[in-house]
Order: sequence, then structure tokens, then C-alpha cells
Amino acid sequence: MIDNLIEVKGVTKSFGSYLAVDNLSMVVRRGEIVVLLGQTGAGKSTVLNLIMGTTSPNSGSVRVAGFDPHDSFKALKGRLSVSFQTDRLLPWRTAVENAELGLLILGVSKPDARRRAKEWLARVRLDGADDKYVHELSGGMRQRVSLARALAIDPEIVFLDESFSQLDHVTSGTLRRDFYQIARELGKTCVLITHRIDDALEMADRAIVLSQPAKIALEVHIDDAARADPARIAELHAQIAAAMGGEESGS
Amino acid sequence: MSVADNMAVSVNSNPPPRAAAPADQLVKPLAAVVRPQRNPENRRDLFATAVVVIVMLIAMEITSRYVPDYIMPSPVTVWAAARELFFADPYHVGVTLIRLTAAVAVAMSLGVLIGLAMGTVRWIRPYLKAIILIDTGIPALSWMLIAVFWFKNPETRIFFILLVILLPFYALNVYEGVRALPKDLVDMIESFRPSRWQVLRYLILPHIVPYIFLTTKSVIGYAIRMVIFAELVASAVGIGARMNLAQSTFRIDQVLAWTFFLVILNLVLQAAVNAVEKVTLRWRAEAVVR
Repeated sequence: MIDNLIEVKGVTKSFGSYLAVDNLSMVVRRGEIVVLLGQTGAGKSTVLNLIMGTTSPNSGSVRVAGFDPHDSFKALKGRLSVSFQTDRLLPWRTAVENAELGLLILGVSKPDARRRAKEWLARVRLDGADDKYVHELSGGMRQRVSLARALAIDPEIVFLDESFSQLDHVTSGTLRRDFYQIARELGKTCVLITHRIDDALEMADRAIVLSQPAKIALEVHIDDAARADPARIAELHAQIAAAMGGEESGS
Repeated sequence: MSVADNMAVSVNSNPPPRAAAPADQLVKPLAAVVRPQRNPENRRDLFATAVVVIVMLIAMEITSRYVPDYIMPSPVTVWAAARELFFADPYHVGVTLIRLTAAVAVAMSLGVLIGLAMGTVRWIRPYLKAIILIDTGIPALSWMLIAVFWFKNPETRIFFILLVILLPFYALNVYEGVRALPKDLVDMIESFRPSRWQVLRYLILPHIVPYIFLTTKSVIGYAIRMVIFAELVASAVGIGARMNLAQSTFRIDQVLAWTFFLVILNLVLQAAVNAVEKVTLRWRAEAVVR
């Protein structure tokens, strides 16, 4: 079994004359929760796209579960999933139909997919909303459906691309804690992309701050002992904020 | 066993435990808030239509008293002609309706296929676009005359005329529908690494359904006018042919009666499409603009 689920080695990516990622190297180990932090335009989403295989690097290499995610795009079917900044639910499908989408794409039978989707909606505290259409759900509920859809396929790696950033503070905090509990319980490998330092301090095993263009400006390990120590948390907060150019947000 | 198959097995073998706190309390009040409400616009529209119809009937009645019958018969005369035609010639209404339905159904099917091909197959797009654009530039009258030269069978003529006239509407609107697919949704579904067929089935086809309804509602009135023209030029049966006969026998009351049937036919078909649309697109939130 591969221990380093994601390996990024000396990756550079540019779009025309714009350099988005500059010689970036990083590793994400199995079961780890890594938070990628950076200001807007730091290249966080480009890094995500490189790892997802939706774009390829100009130089360097990306390996996900031993595969090149771009060249072996289909080989990673069912092994990765993403929860995006906006819920990206299909409006013509109900909550449960949205949650089962990934399972159906994986070829799971309809009844089985429906059963699993319902279980996951209950797991993200949305039982009772199975048959609601998207316009009948609040923003927080939609994001919960989006999480259920991402987790229902039982992926090895879950990516959260600013998934909590468009929600109000209370909803965002609740959802973040729910997700953290599920991810820990199932031992999921997670990569969170965010500009909120709070997300990193609350959830990450490791926080990586990207400067612009994307290269590592700071890498800090955060454990439960640090989380329980307000002074240590304040120190980490200040370190990360400084690495982000003093423009921390979301506290 | 493929990776996907492996995943399918692992997915089924690991059901997550249920959460302790259901969200029922959160959901119920929300459902109450979004309960669909009757649109007061509908009642106002109905009232306005009734007023316009009554004013037109009064104008007809007044005019009929001052001009000869072959210029403007009274509404009572037209109503009598309509009753007579309805009981004597229902066959012609049926023929026109069948022609219309068949042509719209085939134009819809082919138009959707062409629109999808234009939207999803890059190399074929410019060729299909060129064909459709040339088609839209050819006047309906040209197609009618061409059909008379090309086909002997009246049914084939009428079907051909309607098909070539209606098909571009569906093709272009479906193509626009595919182009209007939100990139966010495309990226979302691509993140699951689906096959092309799965993208089509789960994303593109449901997305273009409103465009198909919109096109159908837009072309019904036009299609009725075209079928009448086509019947007038190319057939001995159907409402268009009967209107031709009524015109040649100076029966303006019958021309108006057939016109009355066509207006009713248009309203009935529009209502039918609206009803099907309402059920099919029940997922769509109905916005009422103040």
C-alpha cells in the first residue's frame, strides 16, 4: 500500500507568461489532513487542478496513489472526490439524487446507490431532506449534500476547495466540525484549500502556506496538544498570518 | 476487475453509522416557506384575454351591419359555420393535428440530436452550423415550392416542409443550451471521472430539457401557420385545404370559423405543453417578479 498518497515534485505551471506554480514539492501521507493556505491568486486552485489531473504541469511530476492523475485520468475513478466552494448540486435532482450521483457514475446499482446516499445524508445530519429539490434547501443544507456526495463514493482522498467559505460563521463552524469528525473516524486523507486560518488551526495535521506564485512559504504541524493550548494556537495563527503576507482572514 | 469495480465493492462494504440528530426540524419550516403559491398574473391574463375577445366580437358585430356578408359576417354566422364544420368536417382537424404532431415530434428528435452533436462534437460543429444557418436563410415559401417539385405524395410534401422549417429552431436552441452549461457543473461531474455517455445522461440531457420546452412553446404557433400554408399548397385534406376551398367558394364565414379553430388549437396545444412542462420541470423554483 502506498504511504505517500500525493507526491508533487518540482512542479511548475504557467499560463502564458503568468507563472502560477513555481517549483512546488509536497507530499500528503495516507490518513493525513493537509490544509493549503494562501491569499487569493496564490495558485491554490491550480495546485488542486494539478493533483486532480484536470491540468498538467509544464515541468515536474505529480503522482496520486501511484498514478499520474492527468495521463491516467480514468485510473483514479472513485479514488478522489471534491467538495467545491459552491455546492454545485444539479438543480433537477433531489438531495438524495445528488448525493447518489458519484455512486451511479461508479456503476453502483440504483437501489444500492440510493441506500448509501440516504445513509450519507443522515450522516451529514440531513435526514428528512432526501426528497427536497435544491431550491428548497438552505445554503448550509446544500453544502451538506455536496459533502455527502463527495464522501458517499468512499474515496481515498477528499479535496475541499474553500467548501466552508461561503457560509456564515456558525454554519461554517458546525459543518467544519462535522466533516472533521467523519474524516477522522474513517481515516480519510484530506486536502483542504482555504484562505481561512481558522480552518487550518481547527482541522489540519499540517498546514502549508503558499506564496505567490505557488511555492511553500511555511509548513507547520498541528496536533491535538497544540490545539488544546491557546498560546500555541495564537502563535501558529500569527506565524501563518505573517507567511500569508499579514492578510489573514476568516478569524 | 477495474479500479471502478473495486471501488464499487468497497463502497458497498462500508456503510456509515447514522447521525444522532436528524435535521427534520430544520427542513420542515423551510418546506413551508417554499410552498408554491398561485400566480395572480394568471387570473389577470385570463380576464384581459376575455375583455379583448369580447371587444373583437362587438367590433365584428357592428362592422357586419354596415358591410356585405362576404366582407365581414356577424359572429353569430361565424359561430353557426363553426358548429357546422365541427360536426361535418372533424376529419380535417384530425388530419392537421396528426401532421402537426408528427412533424413537431420528428423535428424535435432530429433537432435535439443535431444540437447535441453541435454542442459536444467539436469537429462536426462547423459543418452542422453551416447547414442549419443555410436552412434558416431559405424562405418557407421556397421550401413549399421545392417540396411540390420533389415529392409526389402530399403527406411527404407537408412533412418535409414542416421538418425543414422547424428543425433549425430545435437544433440552434439545444446547441445554445449545451453552450450555456455552467462550467462549475461540468467540473463537478468531471471530478468523478465519468464516461461521455454519463456526462450526457446525468448533466447535458437534463440541462437541455427547459430549452426543448421553450422551443416547442415558441414554434407551436409558427408550426400551425406553416402546416396551414403547406396544406393550402400541397394537399386536398386538412384545415389549410378546407380554407382554400372556403375561399374559392366565397365562404368567409367558414374561413373565419377555421381560423377560430386554429386559434383554439394553438391555445390547447400551448396549454398541453405548459402542463407537461410544469410536471417535468417541477424542480425549478418559480420566481414571481413584482
